[in-house]
Amino acid sequence: MKLNVIGLLFGAAFGGVLAASNLHEYDTIHAMLRFDEPDVYFFMASATAVSLPLLWLLEKRGLNTPFGGPLALSRSMPEKHHWQGGALFGVGWAIAGTCPAPALVMLSSGAMLSVISIFGIFLGLRLREHQSSGSVAAGDGEHRESVSV
Amino acid sequence: MFDLLPDRLEWYYGGPMLGLLIVGLFIVANQPLGASGAYVQTSGLIRRHGGVVTWRVWYFLGMFVGGMFVTQVLREGAEIRSGYDSLRDVFPLALVIPMVFAGATLLGYGAAMAGGCTSGHGMCGTAQRSPASAAVTITFVGTAIGVTLVLRLLTGGDL
Repeated sequence: MKLNVIGLLFGAAFGGVLAASNLHEYDTIHAMLRFDEPDVYFFMASATAVSLPLLWLLEKRGLNTPFGGPLALSRSMPEKHHWQGGALFGVGWAIAGTCPAPALVMLSSGAMLSVISIFGIFLGLRLREHQSSGSVAAGDGEHRESVSV
Repeated sequence: MFDLLPDRLEWYYGGPMLGLLIVGLFIVANQPLGASGAYVQTSGLIRRHGGVVTWRVWYFLGMFVGGMFVTQVLREGAEIRSGYDSLRDVFPLALVIPMVFAGATLLGYGAAMAGGCTSGHGMCGTAQRSPASAAVTITFVGTAIGVTLVLRLLTGGDL
């Protein structure tokens, strides 16, 4: 129950930062990919520059999290499906000009074509899930869904 | 509504704020701030599939609510529009719709195959110092730049 509230709050903060940074606009992503402006690259790099050292430090200290047990960062070596999936994702990202989180913000900003993007993302995820007989990893990068409510 | 945040937030505020959010969710729940997993869980809920991670569905709703708060309350309030302005400047709507649909389906499929998207691998995976996430990130940024270049050439520089 508490975790649901935490999920809602973190989701809202995430969506809010994306919206404030205009990352939900096709034009912003497209301008980034055609090198018109470097802002989104700096945005991503600075987010990592803040989170990477802090997580490293917390991992070293053996942090115990209130809702998820001991902090466990996960790392793995690249496999074939990483390269293939990354390439397909990149092609789709360039054409649709959005990705899963910004697409939701695009909808909330009133841009109606995002309904098509969101439906497409659901469909694509589902197609892969169906193909791999429902065994798709939760899709959060290097982490499995280990917390159940 | 209030027009408190008329302009785009500069990257040197937004980026570090996102970084802190990533660290925050790890501190609280030992979980990454990824988005495609939330789609998988929400899709499971809609299909009445068992074993849905409920808080990820709330998180999914949260992204929408947070976006709405900023675009409709803090900003002047965007009216209903189509979006995809620069794509629509180049192509007719009859072509934009299938393009967006195909692109989104492809990126959803790719995210499931890679096990994450821009947030899961690009942001949270690299922050965890995962070589696989770095590989996925380099691959999707590289291919996206390549495809954008091809689109630009095909449209004679219009897109």
